Amino acid sequence: MLKIIFGNCENAIYNTSVYFKNTYQDEWITDKLSVEMIKDVDKSVVIGSHLIESPVLGAISPKELSGGVKTLILIHKDKSKIFNASTCGDNCAKWLLKIGEMKDVVINLRHIMDFGNGEFEMEVFNTHQIVRNMKELIDVAGLMI
Amino acid sequence: MKGKYLITVKNNVLRYQFEIRRNITIIKGDSATGKTTLVDMIREYYENGEQSGIILQCDKTCVVLEGRQWKVLLENIHDSIVFIDEGNQFITTDEFSSELKRSDNYYVIVTREGLPNLPYSVEEIYGIKTSGKYGTLQQTYQEFYRIYGDVKNSILFSPDIIIVEDSNAGYEFFENAAEDKCWETISAGGKSNIYKLLKEYDNKKILIIADGAAFGAEMDRVMKKINLSIGKAIFLPESFEWLILKSDTIRDKAIEEILDNPSDFIESKEYMSWERFFTALLVDKTKDTYLRYSKSKLNDAYKNKKIQERILQEVPKQLI
Repeated sequence: MLKIIFGNCENAIYNTSVYFKNTYQDEWITDKLSVEMIKDVDKSVVIGSHLIESPVLGAISPKELSGGVKTLILIHKDKSKIFNASTCGDNCAKWLLKIGEMKDVVINLRHIMDFGNGEFEMEVFNTHQIVRNMKELIDVAGLMI
Repeated sequence: MKGKYLITVKNNVLRYQFEIRRNITIIKGDSATGKTTLVDMIREYYENGEQSGIILQCDKTCVVLEGRQWKVLLENIHDSIVFIDEGNQFITTDEFSSELKRSDNYYVIVTREGLPNLPYSVEEIYGIKTSGKYGTLQQTYQEFYRIYGDVKNSILFSPDIIIVEDSNAGYEFFENAAEDKCWETISAGGKSNIYKLLKEYDNKKILIIADGAAFGAEMDRVMKKINLSIGKAIFLPESFEWLILKSDTIRDKAIEEILDNPSDFIESKEYMSWERFFTALLVDKTKDTYLRYSKSKLNDAYKNKKIQERILQEVPKQLI
């Protein structure tokens, strides 16, 4: 399940781009879910672990992926840390939900991300409340940021 | 610094063009829209000039602020447009807020977090979108769009409650205007309390009146709450004092000129946000007249029905 700490979180990795640059593993890039997330969010195609084809920038390295995708990959592959997911835009929300369906994962949000109009299940970790749609999420999280 | 500044930044694949109008501009929105790339290009041009291969056109120096030494670096940056990418946690600190307050720069900050320490306008919160290829070149043209551009100054219902951000003159005005109307007026006692009141009166039809010039940090959670509720709306003039100035209650050619182009008149080092300037302007223009304005207590002259109606011309029709 996706578990979210809203507001300040002292132990969270705030600058996820720097952390990604210094910790990512080659196999993270070619992981099936990473390839899908890169295609969907960055509209880019993974050619290999060192090469990605971007429609705007041309051939780029993993270090030049968007901040949002870097954070998604960290959340997916590195369970040792809590990451600041406010570096992710709303176009990353469905992938956070998907990662949360696959495993228990704790993230930090410093704004209210739009998780869409559908139903979902996530835990607001600050109060351990379960919320199932955006209305419930806003009512709980709005007081924490 | 005052004025508006058009910035064009381009390389072989990207071309950004946008205008900065106030001391604080926020960029947020979806991932992979080119926010960090823009900041990277500004940095590379600042460090290497034309030798970077980047072309940057702006009447002011554009510079990137980052890292642990931000405060030392900022001491030497003047009369410039300062870009700050996400990942720089110092933007949330009181220290940064007080440095910005006494600074003569404009700031462009990439963040999705609300920054309650900084009074930024709802109008200066942007996203970046690709609007296609530029001319016959292979450059992709990136342009800014207002995130809250669709907030209309009209509502589709008669409110049960009006929540006014202000607790002094602005609140008194709307409370007085409500005397023969069928709504209750509540003072929020500050912008950060508006969200709590929206929750408290969830089953009522509510119109919020707040100072748009400094409401930026609250906008995300308040708009999300409004958009998922029935019978909720928000009206965001620059400030209550701006409403009075705009109403033609004080006939003065200079006021018209200022309101047509506030950027050209508001010195950011003196006024951290525009609503403070409009208060000072109103106080100055009404001193020694029967309309003498004080923010702490509403002058009875503003309770006169004719003056009241003039001021209310700018607000949603349901309140007139």
